[in-house]
Amino acid sequence: MNQNTQLTGEWKTDERPVPKPRKRKRLDSEGRWGILLISPYLIHLIVFVAFTSIASLYISFTDYDMLNPPEWTGLANYSKMIDDPLFWKALKNTLYFTILLVPIKTALALVLAVALNQKLKGLKLYRIAHFIPVISSWTVIAYVADSIFNPRFGWANSLLVSLGLEPKNWLADEQLVIPVLVAVAIWKGVGYMMVLFLAGLQNVPGDLYEAAEIDGAGPLQKFWRITVPLISGTTFLVLILSTISSFQSFEQIYVMTAGAVDGVAGGPNNASLVLMLHLYREGFTFFHMGYASAIAWVLFLILFVFTFMQMRLQKRWVHYD
Amino acid sequence: MKRKRSFSLFLSALLSAALLITACTGQQANTGDPQNAKNDSEQIVLKMGYYSDPPTQKKMEELLAKFMEKHPNIKITTETGPHAQFFQKLNTQIAGGNAPDLWLSDGVKVFEFAERGAVKDLRELIEKDLSKEEYYGMDANKGPGGEVWGVPQGIQIGVLYYNKALFDKAGLKYPDANWTWDQVKEAAELMTIDASGKNAKDPSFDPNKVSEYGFTIFSSPVGVSRGWFPLMKTFGGGVLDSSLQKAVLDTPENKQAIEWMVDGMKRGIFPDPVDLQSFQDPFKPFLSGVSGMQIDIYAARVKMREAGLNFDVAPIPAGPGGKRFAPSIVNSWVISKTADEKKTQAAWEWIKYWATDDEAQREWASLGEAIPVKKKVAEEVLTSDTSLNAKVFLDSMEFAGSLDANAVFGEWRKAFDESMFPAFSGEESVEQGLKKANEAVQKVLDGFYKK
Repeated sequence: MNQNTQLTGEWKTDERPVPKPRKRKRLDSEGRWGILLISPYLIHLIVFVAFTSIASLYISFTDYDMLNPPEWTGLANYSKMIDDPLFWKALKNTLYFTILLVPIKTALALVLAVALNQKLKGLKLYRIAHFIPVISSWTVIAYVADSIFNPRFGWANSLLVSLGLEPKNWLADEQLVIPVLVAVAIWKGVGYMMVLFLAGLQNVPGDLYEAAEIDGAGPLQKFWRITVPLISGTTFLVLILSTISSFQSFEQIYVMTAGAVDGVAGGPNNASLVLMLHLYREGFTFFHMGYASAIAWVLFLILFVFTFMQMRLQKRWVHYD
Repeated sequence: MKRKRSFSLFLSALLSAALLITACTGQQANTGDPQNAKNDSEQIVLKMGYYSDPPTQKKMEELLAKFMEKHPNIKITTETGPHAQFFQKLNTQIAGGNAPDLWLSDGVKVFEFAERGAVKDLRELIEKDLSKEEYYGMDANKGPGGEVWGVPQGIQIGVLYYNKALFDKAGLKYPDANWTWDQVKEAAELMTIDASGKNAKDPSFDPNKVSEYGFTIFSSPVGVSRGWFPLMKTFGGGVLDSSLQKAVLDTPENKQAIEWMVDGMKRGIFPDPVDLQSFQDPFKPFLSGVSGMQIDIYAARVKMREAGLNFDVAPIPAGPGGKRFAPSIVNSWVISKTADEKKTQAAWEWIKYWATDDEAQREWASLGEAIPVKKKVAEEVLTSDTSLNAKVFLDSMEFAGSLDANAVFGEWRKAFDESMFPAFSGEESVEQGLKKANEAVQKVLDGFYKK
């Protein structure tokens, strides 16, 4: 198909004009320099990304215990995945975690960014306050979260009890563990997304708001009609980044669900087992590196489809100037 | 033209820089290479791996220095790190054909390495140089074909730790070698106190507001050495049969044992998994003095002393049929399959030094981390420890047994944990839990042994 259209040459009509040969030569030389200057990154990409990705694709079709050479088993790892209840549980948990986390975090980041884009007293202090969790390690965050959600000593339960309600087991409760993890992930991640939105907001021309005000628009109208469409590019970026990072959540869950004890995280009863954790456990604890690689590739495919869908949908709502 | 020249100049500069970098790293990685040994005609350079924390690392380096002084032809370079990281790195090193020549293996991991073909059979060397009767744990690393995969480095054995202060407070007699599980539960009831100060025998006792527990027995994976596993064994049950390839979980003995545990958790006299989670560290109830008893291994004394506890030990109680069992973990030296003849000999010299040299054994024992493998030294060290009834550890050796560790130990333990969780939290019957666990564990075993 492609070849045909290329042969007819029709598609070239809206292409840029073919550069003159002289110019092209100059570009080539610059191009070479360009490639050379980015070569450290290129080498890194080839050795540590491309090569390892292809190697893991190969390993995903083998039985590989890391100690002996891989044995080709075809699609066995992939069919094992279909029969593995833990894989489905992990996939479900990952989707639940993502669907809960991404919209709330994005909306909250936008609201915070708009609020902190005003001329407030102590503005920088507020911005820093929201950014501190971003730069803190998950271990530190886990300690702080424990002071809130510890069933015995945490103040979330103190609050419930003082209101006459039943205390909860939070991270030890199968129903509550993911919502609690999401709440903590929002707290840690919202600052970063807020900074991205703040950068987007700086680019919205002030005169648009002035013109709207003259026409009698209220704050809500200004937000929905001016701010939201004009920062849709940033919103798109935030959504993609958040989705990818929440699919890859590992450290938080490893640290917050008793990962330190015996390397067993994802509890209670695997209620917080996500795909990355399942992959880690299979690969590095149980020597099933082939299966772990297969999980990695399925995770990649899921992420690819998600991102592709978001890219497709962006035409409907994202505006670039 | 000029541009072209500067381009190639830049390119060659970049390439030579790259060469320089690889040369540097190459040299660094070569310190343990036989190439270097050639220069110094006799010297053999060995790479040794061991897991450590700061005090054990310091002591190990001291012992290595002493060994190298005695054996100037052997140079040992080391690689070390905390337990989890060490083994993770080791796996990738073995995978990359870059394993240390010898390493210290956690006792439960020896078969993981051995049955995947990563370590050498040391049977002949042991028969030649070590007399088996002089050491503890010599049978622990024995394979089905008579292979011996490792030499004991230090012994851990499980006993019943008890908090003397809590026993005194409740006016109870301390546990002794004749105790049964019923006596443990009886004492636990009297020691468990709720927020209003009532003990578990009081009809108005509130099991949801316990401030001091009677007995910590673990249902989590750590329970393999400190909970469900030794309990099931004393009740006459267990996880695997003697071939270590068949699950035998679905038995009345196991059911009785686990029901005994679940009953204690339901009544609030043993902390349940949720209670333990609220302490962050599952060992905290006993360490912070709010649990009367706990099953734990020899090394646990160190932290208990640091916590300032007033404690002592008794053997793990006998089961209803009088059966005794003490879980034991024999951490061991293993030699990599990839080590050549010379390196194997050199590695064996180190292992021999470790096992036979009384002074080395005493030095290591001074850390209090493990029972020395040489019986003579172990007796000397333990009888001189008057701070507690240390003889209990030696007496427990008589009925010590392994944790059914095989090539898939970590995996079957996880399968057990997953299947039994609903039973331990009271959502499912113990019978159902054990049935599910039996299937799940068997599936793991078949996944490896029936391939």
